[in-house]
Amino acid sequence: MRLPLKAGAAAPDGEAATDPPRISERSAALIAAALALPGILPSHAHAQTAPDEGVVALRYLDYRDWQPGARRMTVRNPSLYALVPLGSSFAVEGSVIYDAMSGASPLYHDTLSGASGLGVTDYRTAGDARLTKYIDGNALAFGVAGSYERDYKSRAASFEWRRASADRNTTFAVGVAATRDSIDSANGVARNQHRETYDFLLGVTQVLSSDSLVESSLTWSDGRGYYSDPYKLLDTRPDRRRIFAWLTRYNRYLPGPDATLRVAYRYLDDSFGDRSHMVEASWVQTLPRGFTLTPTLRYYTQGAANFYRDPPFPEGSVQGEPYTADTRLSAYGAITAGMRLAKSFPGGVTADVAFTFYRQRAGWRAGGGGSSGLLEFSARWIEFGLEKRF
Amino acid sequence: MPAAAMAEAYRYTFAAMASRHELHAWAPDRAQADAAARAAIADVLRIEAKYTRYRDTSVTSAINRNAGGDEVAIDAETVALLRYADRCHALSEGRFDLTSGVLRQAWDFKRRPPRLPTDVEIAALLERVGWPRVEWDEHSIRLPRAGMELDFGGIGKEYAADRAAAILREHGIVHALVNLAGDVRVIGTRPDGRPWRVGIQHPREPASVVATVEVIDGAVATSGDYERYFEVDGRRYCHLLDARTGRPVAHWQSVSVVADLATLAGSYATLAMLFAADAPTFLAGQGAHYLAIATDGTMAGNMPFSRGTS
Amino acid sequence: MAFPLGILAILGVASVAAGCATVDPPKPWEKGDLARPSMRFDAEPLAARATTHVYQSKEGAAGGGAVGGGGCGCN
Repeated sequence: MRLPLKAGAAAPDGEAATDPPRISERSAALIAAALALPGILPSHAHAQTAPDEGVVALRYLDYRDWQPGARRMTVRNPSLYALVPLGSSFAVEGSVIYDAMSGASPLYHDTLSGASGLGVTDYRTAGDARLTKYIDGNALAFGVAGSYERDYKSRAASFEWRRASADRNTTFAVGVAATRDSIDSANGVARNQHRETYDFLLGVTQVLSSDSLVESSLTWSDGRGYYSDPYKLLDTRPDRRRIFAWLTRYNRYLPGPDATLRVAYRYLDDSFGDRSHMVEASWVQTLPRGFTLTPTLRYYTQGAANFYRDPPFPEGSVQGEPYTADTRLSAYGAITAGMRLAKSFPGGVTADVAFTFYRQRAGWRAGGGGSSGLLEFSARWIEFGLEKRF
Repeated sequence: MPAAAMAEAYRYTFAAMASRHELHAWAPDRAQADAAARAAIADVLRIEAKYTRYRDTSVTSAINRNAGGDEVAIDAETVALLRYADRCHALSEGRFDLTSGVLRQAWDFKRRPPRLPTDVEIAALLERVGWPRVEWDEHSIRLPRAGMELDFGGIGKEYAADRAAAILREHGIVHALVNLAGDVRVIGTRPDGRPWRVGIQHPREPASVVATVEVIDGAVATSGDYERYFEVDGRRYCHLLDARTGRPVAHWQSVSVVADLATLAGSYATLAMLFAADAPTFLAGQGAHYLAIATDGTMAGNMPFSRGTS
Repeated sequence: MAFPLGILAILGVASVAAGCATVDPPKPWEKGDLARPSMRFDAEPLAARATTHVYQSKEGAAGGGAVGGGGCGCN
């Protein structure tokens, strides 16, 4: 049994160790943090009790990719996030992201001619908002999300219920979501197309010891509608896509080096056929003067989709049958290596900078069998972030 | 081909003439692209400063200030533009008129709620319109009556696009695209040899493209009823006024023209809008390639445009 | 396809949750280290969104971890 810890010991803003240890309420709130389920709409708001702090965060991402001898694509992506507790049982959070030149749908037109002088650069604006209500160790969250681009619009709504066990060491989560996408490609190939997807999530988070916890979740996704890429010649994909994903994450704090090891594994199976495995590890190392250094390594391996065909275009294929030459659905392996440096300042402010390097190669596919005839793909992104808690 | 493979695209956006514009230049290095773009953009800004109504120091303001008074000396560039405007006036049988700018006093597109002018108001203004009355030659110009005004808004932007392209060429750029608020002028092909792909904006859905044109070494300009307008009782009144009647035209939602020069493409498009139902005859007579979208949504034209990958 | 593996996963996770021998759940006053931001799964909302979007647009597989994030035009 350990002696009660200083209430502020874990806080990165260096709360004074002399604060009276209001253990029961404060640790309950903080522990809830550890047990909250993660994800794309993560919540600083924790499973059992409303957060006692608000958060505002800004981030800027500069992304560039290239292939040997071929063009570069750059994306600049500022984003903003805020979490505001409302009273003692509600919290609202939301984020907005603005992409200039959204990734993979290439500019089909070089420019536009029109009387009102609209530019042609592809922009994407995406946002999400979530309202969480806390009652007796349960958290109910209702969320909406949307993404808007010239040729693609997406709207989603979700609902999630999280419940903690009496000792707060176990949390269960159930989530559902519905998404509706509209596609109207700039070249007129996809006119007024739609896609509807339903997602279901089951998850559990378990505290294993005073220094470690694990979270595992299963997600099922069923979508119907338009999946083809209208900018790729003859690209025809099935109009149904079912995905199953199993994600497990494990975090362990090591008091010796004062560092945290974070490991994640995801298995994903897809009716398109591109089964994949992903494993990722980070080492969050605390340094003096409020600095934290985090190297990360990730390995991803993917099989090709059933309807993927190596270039050049296959002879004798039948029009209308599923076909894609999209290299994202080919068989390959990918490695990511990144480094992040963060510094916390008084007043609940944290600033960080991160550099990540990414490369895909057919030859890196686990067990061999990578798709042939493909060039290596590389990318790098730099991030700058600022966060304030209040 | 090797030189083109090494070239990279440099994109520049800038604001002028109350709009946003862009310039894509392909060059082997950034320094060359920057130098060319800087020169081209500088000239666009120079043309704006020279012919805008909104600056006291412009040539237009000097001419308008002296209406009914002394003649104003003009340089070769202005003379060339006047000659061009004169040709447009003749070709349009008077519909296009460099002195018709005063009619904006009757048609206020910013007013809320919008207001239709009376016949009396229009008639009064029409007395100050009349290009044939303007006294000009290679050295000077005089507006014979106080209250008359010149407005280069109908040709200035397209001319600037051609100038920008010429300057890029002078700086050794062989693949480039200039888009001044929807008036497009391209140099050469795309570096891979393919034609430039220009999308024609849908006149009623700003984020959509209604057709695609492929251009090499040419220009695409669009004139439409959606740039400035108001609607009263379900009828749209746009900023394109027939100088003979002082009233807006209302036959086409937009007309896009492909030609060798932006100045030409722009004028053909504007004149076609002014010709209303007679536009196809006019454009065919000029041998122009166009795409016109009528107010009921039907399309007419002879332009080789495509709708997709076909 | 998914079901045999799904059931296996549920069973594995449930047994972990049931508190088998390897688990030593701490008492409330022992949970200080668990409160560290580095120990949380959700500490970096914006970084997570940005990174997820990059992977979503460059890799074929997308999913897992949460639901309701919406899509983008990058397939």
